[in-house]
Amino acid sequence: MKIAYRHLVQHIQESPSIECISNKLFQLGHEHEINGDILDMEFTPNRGDCLSINGLLRDLAVFYKVDLKQEIFTEKVNELQLDFENLSENICPKISFLKLEIDQVPETYKNSLDNYFLDLGLNKNNFFTDVSNYLSYETGQPTHCYDASAMTGKLLFHEIEKNEEFETLLDKKITLTGKNSVFSLNHHVINLAGVVGGKSTSCSTDTKTVIVECAFFQPEQIIGKSVKYDIQSESSHKFERGVDPESHEKVLRRFIKLVKEHTNIIDMSIASYEYKDNPIHQIPVNVHKINQIIGINITENEYLNYLSKLKFDIDKGIIKVPSFRSDVKTQNDLAEEVARVIGYDNIPTSEISIPKNEKTNHKDLENKLRFFLLDHGFYEVINSPFVSLPAEKAIKVDNPLDSNREYLRTNIQNSLVENLLFNERRQKDSIKLFEISDVYSSNNGINKKRKLSIIASGKVGINYEDFSKKINKKYLMKLFKEILPNEVFNFEIVSRDLLDTKIKNEIVALEVDINSFSFDTLSYKEISQLPKSFAQYVPISELPSSFKDISYSIKDYSKAQELQDLLLNYKSDILKNVYIFDYFKNEKQEEIKIGFRFTFQSKKATLNSAEIELVYTDIVAKSLNISGISIPGM
Amino acid sequence: MPEHNDFAPPELIKDKGSLHPINHMKDSIMDLLTSFGFEIIDGPEIETEEFNFDMLNIKKSHPARQMHDTFYVENKSNLLRTHTSPVQIRGMLEKKPPLAFISGGKVYRKDDDATHLPMFHQVEGIYVDENISFAQLKDLIYKIIYSLFGDDVELRFRPSYFPFTEPSAEVDILSKEGKWLEILGCGLVNPVVLENCNIDSNTYSGLAFGLGIERIAMLKHGVTDIREFYKSNLDFLCQFK
Repeated sequence: MKIAYRHLVQHIQESPSIECISNKLFQLGHEHEINGDILDMEFTPNRGDCLSINGLLRDLAVFYKVDLKQEIFTEKVNELQLDFENLSENICPKISFLKLEIDQVPETYKNSLDNYFLDLGLNKNNFFTDVSNYLSYETGQPTHCYDASAMTGKLLFHEIEKNEEFETLLDKKITLTGKNSVFSLNHHVINLAGVVGGKSTSCSTDTKTVIVECAFFQPEQIIGKSVKYDIQSESSHKFERGVDPESHEKVLRRFIKLVKEHTNIIDMSIASYEYKDNPIHQIPVNVHKINQIIGINITENEYLNYLSKLKFDIDKGIIKVPSFRSDVKTQNDLAEEVARVIGYDNIPTSEISIPKNEKTNHKDLENKLRFFLLDHGFYEVINSPFVSLPAEKAIKVDNPLDSNREYLRTNIQNSLVENLLFNERRQKDSIKLFEISDVYSSNNGINKKRKLSIIASGKVGINYEDFSKKINKKYLMKLFKEILPNEVFNFEIVSRDLLDTKIKNEIVALEVDINSFSFDTLSYKEISQLPKSFAQYVPISELPSSFKDISYSIKDYSKAQELQDLLLNYKSDILKNVYIFDYFKNEKQEEIKIGFRFTFQSKKATLNSAEIELVYTDIVAKSLNISGISIPGM
Repeated sequence: MPEHNDFAPPELIKDKGSLHPINHMKDSIMDLLTSFGFEIIDGPEIETEEFNFDMLNIKKSHPARQMHDTFYVENKSNLLRTHTSPVQIRGMLEKKPPLAFISGGKVYRKDDDATHLPMFHQVEGIYVDENISFAQLKDLIYKIIYSLFGDDVELRFRPSYFPFTEPSAEVDILSKEGKWLEILGCGLVNPVVLENCNIDSNTYSGLAFGLGIERIAMLKHGVTDIREFYKSNLDFLCQFK
């Protein structure tokens, strides 16, 4: 909600700067941004009472002398004879109507009404709707304006449960479905209560006689309606969070005053209907409890002074909660009020000591398994559980984000296959992934299994020992025998027939229920450790990479280290990595052969062969400068 | 030919994998909290409305319960937990105070944009004992934040609103760029929640807090797009060894 600084400060005697007000608002828990002279407020859902100038001023009154300069019409107003019936008093326990007739529609606005449109850069609508909108901004109470000339017949407030077409005053046609609280005139819906009025009875720039509706609706009856019908509604935002049920008289008299400031009123009358008393919530004064909750030591006088400034009445040891604070019900609520006024940052800390828990981390064994996989080059991944295709016993999401995410996965393997293909498309030739996750299915209730799933394909590793070895079942079985010798693992070969790929490497996968392992046999001593610091991420390139291999023949062994130092530390913007993929020492011929693989990738654009050739030529030239080294075939 | 032609083979570099950075962050925070005395407890990701909402004082009319915010499953009989708080409810129903639990894991909300994902991770903690105060909660939060971001980090507490805590607060830290960044939510356990778990709120009080793991991981690692965590791109994952 946007609030202009000058609309606030004109009521504050100390005239604080916008920065001072901003600091106080943060202390009170009202998040906002400052854009020029506008405070763009974001209130927590329990503070519907702050959604107005007056609401914010009520809170700021704990810091400043607030003097509201808003006059109301104080003279007697006739009683309105209205053909109205409320069939849902529990939903709308209190409602008032004001009928006003003016002799001329004003062409320009004055004072606060004019400032409202000017300072907030808002578009005007028609006079009565403009007054209504301003009043909602000033007081927090939404009102709805009907053109009185269209209001012939019996007006009914009721809850309906039938499909009915309804055209809003925003020219949007909606079909009401399910239960809705509405106002009807002659059996036709003219207003979706608390959300939006109808076009048939809305005011226009010619309207001279208006019926203003001022109501209290139970918030739970309004919640969700604007989202359901996709209507942006300031009114529903306020009604959903609760408005002050005791404000009607004052709001309608303020309406009259604002109209009177702009034109002559020919006739006016008010009808008020109150079906249920609004109980005043009462809480005993207990400063000891407040001190205990917050961990401070204030006197009862200080405590009650804070509450008085927030408009709480105190009478004979009882705190009476004001009607606009429907969020305050308990001692803890009052403690929060006091803590806000003191300032959370001003409350001193008190040493906390939690008794030490001697229990072992019940996931130690699972963690051992994770580190075992890490030690063997596996990367942990996390996948979304939402999938498009239903599997047997898959749980269906009632309200999925889209049709591709309608079910919960019953296995992890399919996600890992997708991950594998994703990385193969990025020229990765050694892929080892694992995921540990709960997996759910439906079978006479919800079944949960904690599963480990692994997938691997391509080279065993990218070093000179493993480069030419391909991942297969045997490799993985040998690996797992090391950690769990007594378990039998059924590794699976995932067929590539239905996969969108031309790569032929075997895909080996395993998915097991972790709880079925006999962890007694798990005695692995992990090598990997949690990193001591948090690595700074370097943005990755999504552009294609390519590689070049160079094989060297070294006759003078003493030069081998120099060659490695040169090539493994070679720097270029387009050189992504370099590693030794081949090493062979031919004792007979007294020769070492070392193969280096250079991977090229740019972060800016797809590399062309000339760009790669330039770096490649430099690498070759620098390496051949080392005596006793040659590149066979070159 | 050189006279001494002995040469040690090149270092054999066995490529090690890495933990997922989100799990690493979650584990680091859980380790920190267990060192403070918290016990780790687990709970299901598919929950009932009773445990996810009712027991936590989240009223039927609360916007979070709408179909546009929460994933419901099996004809609305269950839901995907929207936070890890229901695990604490289960813990409080099982054990008598004093108790100190933490739970961490996946949670789900019906969001999907550049800064929100339908699945993300939380770690939440609760400590219930006699005479727990907001001042003690602040002490604990300072310890957590200083451990995570260093003793020199500037932080502030802001009043906020959660139905299950009262008073409630959000905690921000000041970034190097001078911006306040929200790090966690916390508060004193609403007495209604204690009573729902058969804990006498006249004798006991509690503190609770919750951290979004992705947000902290993004800050610590300098990742700017949350979606990077879940692409399973080896070029991304290999940076977190």
